[in-house]
Amino acid sequence: MENSQFFVSLTLILITFGIYIGIAIYNKARQTSDFYVASRGVPPVFNGMAIGADWMSAASFIGMAGTVMLLGYDGLAYIMGWTGGYLLLTFLLAPQLRKYGRYTVPEFIGDRYNSHTARVIAAICTIIISFTYSVGQLSGSGVVIGRLLEVDARIGTMIGVVLIAFYAAFGGMKGITWTQVAQYIILIIAYLIPVIFMSLQITNSPLPWLSYGHVVSELGELDRQLGLSEYFAPFENGSRWQFIALMFTLMAGTAGLPHVIVRFYTVSTMKAARWSGAWALLFIGILYLSAPAYAAFSRFILMTNVAGQPIDTLPAWTETWINTNLLQIADENGDGILQWTEIMIANDIVVMATPEIANLGVFVIGLMAAGAMAAALSTAGGLMISISSSFAHDIYYRVLRPNATDARRLYVGRITIVSATILAGLVALNPPGAITQIVAWAFALASGTFFPALLLGVWWKRANGPGVISGMVVGLFVTLTYIFAAQYGGFTIAGIIDTGAGIFGATAAIITNIVVSLNTKAPSQKTQDEVKDLRYPEQMTYQDGDVWMK
Amino acid sequence: MKKIDKAVADAYSREKNKYTIIYLCIWFSVSFGVVLFADSLQFEMPILGFPFHYFMGAQGAVVTFIILLFVNAKVSDHIDVKYGIDEGANEQISSGKTLDH
Repeated sequence: MENSQFFVSLTLILITFGIYIGIAIYNKARQTSDFYVASRGVPPVFNGMAIGADWMSAASFIGMAGTVMLLGYDGLAYIMGWTGGYLLLTFLLAPQLRKYGRYTVPEFIGDRYNSHTARVIAAICTIIISFTYSVGQLSGSGVVIGRLLEVDARIGTMIGVVLIAFYAAFGGMKGITWTQVAQYIILIIAYLIPVIFMSLQITNSPLPWLSYGHVVSELGELDRQLGLSEYFAPFENGSRWQFIALMFTLMAGTAGLPHVIVRFYTVSTMKAARWSGAWALLFIGILYLSAPAYAAFSRFILMTNVAGQPIDTLPAWTETWINTNLLQIADENGDGILQWTEIMIANDIVVMATPEIANLGVFVIGLMAAGAMAAALSTAGGLMISISSSFAHDIYYRVLRPNATDARRLYVGRITIVSATILAGLVALNPPGAITQIVAWAFALASGTFFPALLLGVWWKRANGPGVISGMVVGLFVTLTYIFAAQYGGFTIAGIIDTGAGIFGATAAIITNIVVSLNTKAPSQKTQDEVKDLRYPEQMTYQDGDVWMK
Repeated sequence: MKKIDKAVADAYSREKNKYTIIYLCIWFSVSFGVVLFADSLQFEMPILGFPFHYFMGAQGAVVTFIILLFVNAKVSDHIDVKYGIDEGANEQISSGKTLDH
């Protein structure tokens, strides 16, 4: 049984990876022009799916439902935060950035603010944000690989490092939209099948979204009987302000994440950017609407089928998960029965362990493993590429060695990928937090640096170079300091912990940018016109106070 | 290139901004608004069986976000047509405009 599970999981992972690579090779052969032009011909619906695959990482796939399960209502900040950010992005930034027409966020910041220093700081911020994010991805792949090979999650992480370094060094694969469309489809099927099966098992309904409300209410009832606070009771695991701060951090971070914004540069027009944003959130929403259902069903099964069993007749799945060090079961009161409160389950294994707990069969479990690997590897690969392009292009080529050859830049890029992956892997060996928490730090950093820089850059023509430089530096400093002070020093304001740090970073950066900009020289008339021009569609051009139509 | 009357150009951006502000107000109330008053919104919903505040966090807000994005895409298209914007021309203008360093 155990062996057959291993082979089914491995086969499914290999088949799905075969599909991705196959599509990549097929497209590469057909592709005549430039790398980015390929996605121009892709209709917004499929571009939306590709954004979805890029977006949904190990945090969404592996971590989120577990986080919601353990935090109850307070975990919903992740659901609303990671979807609501798309509105800020699509209304306020994406179409405008598309009209400005640069390929990367550091390029936009450098050119809009007309500052080399701003470009370099933006490149450094991209590296810090993507690095933090990828620690979460590696730690996620560690969970999956660890379970698959029945080894400690740390050994799983090391295997993940090798896979990701290889995957990212392949390079171009990432940019091919159709590969990502395939990744999205596999990922969403893998996620929905167990939710639908559990819904059938527990509520007899094939539509979990409509049926799990009663399960949530019933969980509250079970908690009351055990004398615990209800599952859905608000602000039990953190203050109201922590919820608000975390939700803001995730939303603003979404609107400022470099590897997501890049996807909107490659659409054809501002109109296509708006439609891509809408389709992307629809496809992402399917997973985000299902995660709380997943959480409720998992908790229900654990509370009713697992808790209350004699401790010496526990099913086989418990042992394999205990081996990964992410599940602890102890009969603390020595009555021979396992109680709900005696199960210590890590956020990060809930999604992967539930299909086993619910006995959904080897195929579903294998599919989950394949989906999780797609989520972790595709996002980590993309992050590594954005780290390497920031270093090799924005810093090495634009600043350090302006006359470096293409081959030399490619070489520097590859070295960057390999060293960044290894470094991130070393950090992930002993993860400083749960996957969703680590990823939330990356969002906090993005909301403290890029969100203010982009928002003011697009909507306030008076914002200038000195303003954005001091804004980004102050935002980065405030966010980092708050994360460290809250995580390691126990420092909090209004109960806001590390994951909500972005609200302070963003506020500080916006104020700094405005104050410094107003006290220094206004940007040139040309720059100011270019900013005003972003309010109009491509056919209209703003110049010297007049709008012209082409 | 022909010059557009200042009043028309201003009307265009005013109309776009007006809708964006409306959408963002709805966005704020279904997410931040509901969270602020979560304690007093815990009544159980008919049919679905959720406590209301939980439903809004898990489903209501997300569905509203998706609807707002599609409404925005549709309405913006409509405004563009009203001001005589031709998407074909947009595509032509923007293709090749992206700078590649």
